[in-house]
Amino acid sequence: MDSGSAKELKVVDVMVVLEEPIKGVIELKNYIDGEWVESEASETRDVVNPATLKKIAKVPVGHREDVKAAVDAAKDAFPRWRRTTPLSRARYLMTLKQLLEENFEELGRVVTMEHGKIIDEARGEVRRGIENVEMATGIPSLMMGYNAEDISRGIDEVLIKQPLGVFACVAPFNFPFMVSLWFMPYAVATGNTYIIKPSPWTPLSTMKLTELIDEAGFPPGVINLVNGEVEPVSEILENPGVKGVSFVGSTKIGRDVIYRNATSHGKRVQAQCGAKNFLVVTPDADVELTVSSLMSSFFGNTGQRCLAGANLVFVGDDQGFMEKTLGVIKERAGAIKMGYGLEEGVQMGPLQAEHRKKRVLGYIESGLKEGATLTMDGREFNCDPYPETCFLAPSIFEGVNLDMTIAREEIFGPVMSVLTAEDLDEAIGMVNSSSYGNAASIFTTKGGTARRFQYDVECGNIGVNIGTAAPMAFFPFSGMKDSFFGDLHGQGKDAVDFFTENKVVIQRWP
Amino acid sequence: MALVLRTTSQIIGHHAELEKKSAEGYGALAERHPEHQDAFNRLGDENHRHRARVERAYRLGVTDAFEVGFTPNPLDPGDYALEEFTGESLSEDLDTALRNEETVIRFCLDAAKTSGKLLPDLPDTFDQLVRRKRKRVELLRSLT
Repeated sequence: MDSGSAKELKVVDVMVVLEEPIKGVIELKNYIDGEWVESEASETRDVVNPATLKKIAKVPVGHREDVKAAVDAAKDAFPRWRRTTPLSRARYLMTLKQLLEENFEELGRVVTMEHGKIIDEARGEVRRGIENVEMATGIPSLMMGYNAEDISRGIDEVLIKQPLGVFACVAPFNFPFMVSLWFMPYAVATGNTYIIKPSPWTPLSTMKLTELIDEAGFPPGVINLVNGEVEPVSEILENPGVKGVSFVGSTKIGRDVIYRNATSHGKRVQAQCGAKNFLVVTPDADVELTVSSLMSSFFGNTGQRCLAGANLVFVGDDQGFMEKTLGVIKERAGAIKMGYGLEEGVQMGPLQAEHRKKRVLGYIESGLKEGATLTMDGREFNCDPYPETCFLAPSIFEGVNLDMTIAREEIFGPVMSVLTAEDLDEAIGMVNSSSYGNAASIFTTKGGTARRFQYDVECGNIGVNIGTAAPMAFFPFSGMKDSFFGDLHGQGKDAVDFFTENKVVIQRWP
Repeated sequence: MALVLRTTSQIIGHHAELEKKSAEGYGALAERHPEHQDAFNRLGDENHRHRARVERAYRLGVTDAFEVGFTPNPLDPGDYALEEFTGESLSEDLDTALRNEETVIRFCLDAAKTSGKLLPDLPDTFDQLVRRKRKRVELLRSLT
């Protein structure tokens, strides 16, 4: 919240919309070798604000030559950058962090404009991105190797962590500002150079981020931005100059395109993919805490996140507890105010694009056809005065079983499927039957139940009385099974290891 | 449409508005009662610091992983309206100032309670402000 925005924050009985930072239609360029340059591709895609349907930018579809130029620039910059001391590299990141803080509010509003999420969620995303920059400024310590003296008489052994060269990320639409920062700060802090390829649906936050990277004074070629769709991604995966790729997106693309192609070209890969997250509630759970967490997990970000709740499992035969809890959930979900995320009282924004809404509608139809009971129908809603095109209210299915498509596949929208399990064993079995292993949460007041859950559940991110188990920057963003392909995850020490090679030196001095 | 404060952003925004209005009020009192100009100006400056303190706590702690958008107990801004200074004497103006301070304290207490479900650092910040504002009440009483 900048100091100049006070008058915009006045709450009265009229619709108050925060000022939009993007005016008109921006024509996006690439940022290569420290310069803003046109893409080799002449074709563009419109970037549309999903709440208002106003066109806010035109982004090039991209060309292989764009990536080749970025790889050349990054390769040229690498020898000098890796010789820049870790402390100096950290200082560039400190400058960037300061600029991000100064532009915090604008960045949040840009996220809302291109994605649709509410301003609180957008600011939260910006904060989480900045936390990764902060974490990477600790690189002089994080990058230290280790050593052993006298492994034999007069001989010492040392492990050194070294950068590899050029890395790239292919970022998703759902966290347009944050996700590239799970990777890039660690890559450049460890001495690598970098290429960011944002989602063509939401490229504006990365453009703003890159403007600040430029202002921070990073040497040309150290961080590059290439916009586009399929062609730039193919070049990133195949270009021998790219040593590794980070990806966040669907399992189909992450596993079948990114992981397979990149590994077949000898690259390191970390592909963080889809999810179907189970939230398990035991009858002893604190209802108030549980419901608040569930609301955010299932309906926050309009359900468009890989840590979103998807299946809600009630354990045991306490029908009264289940009915009471579901009653409170429905009451709160029914009262959610939908609209444009820059309107401060809005609690849920639209889906990011019309085709994403159609996909969710398809799953609602599928749930009905397969026999689930739609006890809250999100297809009926009021989002006045905004066009309905991308909006969808929360939906709740009851009587769901694991054979149903809505219980197995990732919906990526505000849909809750309610299941029941006789006991904790059955609930854990349900979680583990999923092909995904991204996140799972349990709501309980019993420590033994929580421990059993965290011990036996095959998921990378576990929540105990937490609905959205989002790891902080100093922990890896974990994931298992069809939710992750690779060995080392984004964020934290995993990221440092991903972007460095361990070199062992055995030395004897006569 | 009855407007309520449902989201963290709204609560922070309304708090900012209250502090701003309160500061403006003390600015007016400083002009009307020059014998206490320093005290009123100091109170007004504090309002701005209190506003900045809450905004900082929000900015540094906000995360989309918590329940920023889903408070179960929305606040009604109409419950926290500040009075204009229309008194004809210092004593009447101080009474108004005291009632306004109590209103802001009540808002901070309610916001602390509500934001406990929204954002972890905010309740503490609002509670700290309440302690500081109670000292302001003592100062105002000492001026009578």
